[in-house]
Amino acid sequence: MNIREATLDDMIPMQNCNLHNLPENYQMKYYFYHSLTWPQLSYVAEDEKGRIVGYVLAKLEEDPAAEPHGHITSLSVMRTYRRLGVAEKLMTQSQNAMRDVFNCKYVSLHVRKSNRAALQLYRDTLNFTVQDIEKKYYADGEDAYACRKILRED
Amino acid sequence: MSELPPKEANLFREILKCYEMKLYKLGFKGAEQILKKFPEHGETLAMKGLFYNHMDKKEEAYEFVKKGLRYNLRSHICWHVFGLLHRSDKNYEEASKCYINALKYDKENIQILRDLSLLQMQMRSLEGYIDTRHQLLELRPQNRQYWVAVAIGYQLTGKPELGIKVLTAYEETLKDIPSTPDYEHSEMLLYHNSLLEEAGDIQAALDHLSTIEKHVCDRKSLKEKRAKYLLALGRLGEAEAAYRALLSINPDNMAYFEGLRTSVGLGGEKLSAEEQVKVLELLKGLQKEYPRSNAAKRLPLRYATGEAFVKIADEYICSMLRKGVPSLFVNIKTLYTDKEKEQAVEKLALGYLAALDKSKGFDHSGPHIEPPTALLWTLYFLAQHFDFKRNTDQALGYINRAIEHTPTLVELYMTKGRILKHAGDYIAAMEALNEARELDLQDRFINTKCTKYMLRADKTVEAEKTVVLFTRADIANPLNDLVEMQAQWFSIAAGESELRQKHIGRALKRFHQVHKYFVDYTEDQFDFHTYCLRKMTLRAYVSLVRLEDQLRSHPFYVRAAHKAIECYINLFDHPEGADTEEMEGMTEAEKKKYRNKQRKAELKAQQEAEDLKKKSIANGDASKKAGGAGKVDEDPEGTKYSKVEDPLAEALKFLKPLQDLASERIETHLYGFNIYIRQKKLLLALRSLLKANKIEPNNATLHEQLVRFALEVQKSSPKPGVKAVIDQHWSTLYQGQDLVAFTAAFLEKNKDFGSVNHVISAAQASYLISSSDNKNSKSESLSKGEKLLFSIQDDQYQKTRSVENAILVQTLLKKWRSSRVQEWNEKAKTWYPRATAFK
Repeated sequence: MNIREATLDDMIPMQNCNLHNLPENYQMKYYFYHSLTWPQLSYVAEDEKGRIVGYVLAKLEEDPAAEPHGHITSLSVMRTYRRLGVAEKLMTQSQNAMRDVFNCKYVSLHVRKSNRAALQLYRDTLNFTVQDIEKKYYADGEDAYACRKILRED
Repeated sequence: MSELPPKEANLFREILKCYEMKLYKLGFKGAEQILKKFPEHGETLAMKGLFYNHMDKKEEAYEFVKKGLRYNLRSHICWHVFGLLHRSDKNYEEASKCYINALKYDKENIQILRDLSLLQMQMRSLEGYIDTRHQLLELRPQNRQYWVAVAIGYQLTGKPELGIKVLTAYEETLKDIPSTPDYEHSEMLLYHNSLLEEAGDIQAALDHLSTIEKHVCDRKSLKEKRAKYLLALGRLGEAEAAYRALLSINPDNMAYFEGLRTSVGLGGEKLSAEEQVKVLELLKGLQKEYPRSNAAKRLPLRYATGEAFVKIADEYICSMLRKGVPSLFVNIKTLYTDKEKEQAVEKLALGYLAALDKSKGFDHSGPHIEPPTALLWTLYFLAQHFDFKRNTDQALGYINRAIEHTPTLVELYMTKGRILKHAGDYIAAMEALNEARELDLQDRFINTKCTKYMLRADKTVEAEKTVVLFTRADIANPLNDLVEMQAQWFSIAAGESELRQKHIGRALKRFHQVHKYFVDYTEDQFDFHTYCLRKMTLRAYVSLVRLEDQLRSHPFYVRAAHKAIECYINLFDHPEGADTEEMEGMTEAEKKKYRNKQRKAELKAQQEAEDLKKKSIANGDASKKAGGAGKVDEDPEGTKYSKVEDPLAEALKFLKPLQDLASERIETHLYGFNIYIRQKKLLLALRSLLKANKIEPNNATLHEQLVRFALEVQKSSPKPGVKAVIDQHWSTLYQGQDLVAFTAAFLEKNKDFGSVNHVISAAQASYLISSSDNKNSKSESLSKGEKLLFSIQDDQYQKTRSVENAILVQTLLKKWRSSRVQEWNEKAKTWYPRATAFK
């Protein structure tokens, strides 16, 4: 398994991977937008044959009201490639880039309230804390946990 | 702004502002106000048209813009507006002509120059782009964007050294460089560095890294480049240190391992025994340093051979089985290109199973007892291994044992389905996947897989019902959510299923969806031509431009294009409607009757769809809200695609991008031949053959095509000029043999490989050659073809026989109306007892 920074060439397979795994999908332009605005923040996992089997799509939240911080737009690993710690490795690389390249203080993300496996990964393995519950965050009316992790103490 | 009095001139300026601020309704009102007094003011008329365009009134838009232009042909505004209108309709060619006209009347208009340059980039008129960008730079030399745009133009035309000059000149004008790294500046510097690399001056690129280092935000990229340059310059000690440092940042990056291996002098594919030992030693050290790195654990399997391999594989596989890593087999399988490794793995895995059964450990040596899941994952591994070898019974045996052990594990049913699919039983495969899906209804991945299997079994209704379980629920036609989200996999799999069912219109509809996704991807780049210059993410931007240039060589496009071409060829060959499976072997009268029946059913279905449409229009509020995805499907059968005037011309539209971007793939030319020969375009057909012949002279399909070509040439007696060209290449292609001898030689050459596909090709060739000669009776020709096809049952073909090529033979026999179809099915059944095709 190869973990590396995503390039523009990875966007089509990334979209494909997302459509296989998750109910939240995006058009290609949104992937392009991520990679062309913050090329350092997204990562992919590639199997022995060079197929993209996992990715993290990430961005900078540049809301002028808050201080700049990283945000995970989407993370998924094909079911058949679990138990290798791929999601964690992808997250670690992306978070390091947020901190090192963009000087981010923290990273945020949303998790479906019903997605216990994901919450476990973020909270227990990656040390995120739940900040808040956002009511009806998802299109189907489900609530989201808003999670956060500090990247830099100063 | 000619001839308006001050009050209206002011108002006109207001409406221009409205346009910029996207206040279209307000602007529209302003325009009407002016036009009340000055109904022939060209520029106002044009602006009114532009506002119409933004209010979704295309006809009025064109009417007013053109009218405006007629009243004022020398206005840059009118021309610019006309250009914008064309641009919004993606008619870039016309738009750029308009801009060029606009510039005639206002040479230094920044806005128009910028708009023109965007079109030039989108159309890749790169010389024009450079020219326009130069003008902009001269007008606004203080603006960084204009400098870098010129550099990009040079880089994309293969002149990075000119780009370097431009950037250097710009950097010299900079007075206060920010003391703390600034992201945009940093990106520009790294872009500058990439130009040095592209120009091939690695030493200069390396030196440059040191000068920019303190301004760079993207430290990792800087380190990667430095390591790469050091390696390229042969400064191995420093390169080694650089790669080791990179591994400490990311010990799962294969490129870093590869760089390190090369920098310690152990690069290359083939390693000597001594080198092998050293590489394994190196990796062992890295494993200790990075115990959580998957790559460090996996790489030794690639380099080790013989005894060393067995030892390492043993440790690796055991640890993965203990952990229960589902991807273990997929990962190991790539080693099977080496037969010795395949056998070693098989021996190991069978050994584990025997030991686990007996003493609950992976070996008999110690008292170590594994967790009960070790047995489960070992069975799972063995099932996949024997499926890989297409040993269906053994594979099923293991997977059934695993399911008995743990009946709730989704992955087991997925593998069972896969085994059954490979055995040709698509229905049972689908059922296994559905069991898997029902075990975890929350997981979209298994839902997706299940849908694919349903489509493979041509169960369209079930597949559509299943796939929409995870699409947006709030729209009238949830399947359209997939199209809107550009779900390539679905359009391709659904299209292939429709094609198998000979629903050509429906299949084409799906393949055109894929085509549309790629059109969208191309379109998507437009906004980034300005955006990236602002954001300074230039390295990423250049990758985008280069990706877009190669876009249609992507496997998704290639696959959809191949299938679309097959559809169009089918339409050409069966203009009165494709033969469905049920029709194979029917007489023409029977076919006619059958078709009439089908047509009636179709009409009924159409009526039902019509009713449904009316119904959903009646309560259409919901679908309107959801926008495009909610639209009722106007043409569910895809008649728009199946009722085309010239199917071969349509097929060529799909072929063209492949010829441009996938010309190294033989399929491109084989498909090309299939189109051209039907168009009777002999020279183009010849060109396809020559290209295919160059790529893979011994390709199975190519032989049959060569024979078809020769027969066509004989039959059609081409014009002398054409004939002369064909003659010129004749000996290259046919080695001076007549077709019978040519086919015999082809068979002889491939005898020892035991390739089924080559025999099928030769059988088709023999049948065609014999049929072309009036002396031979139909049954004579038939028996020649049959004889060859049935030779496939000989033992020597066992290795390359598959469900797929056995079905191919069946199809061919049916097409020839051979009386031996049943006999073939009986034979095939003995090899593939589960395959539905032979039942």
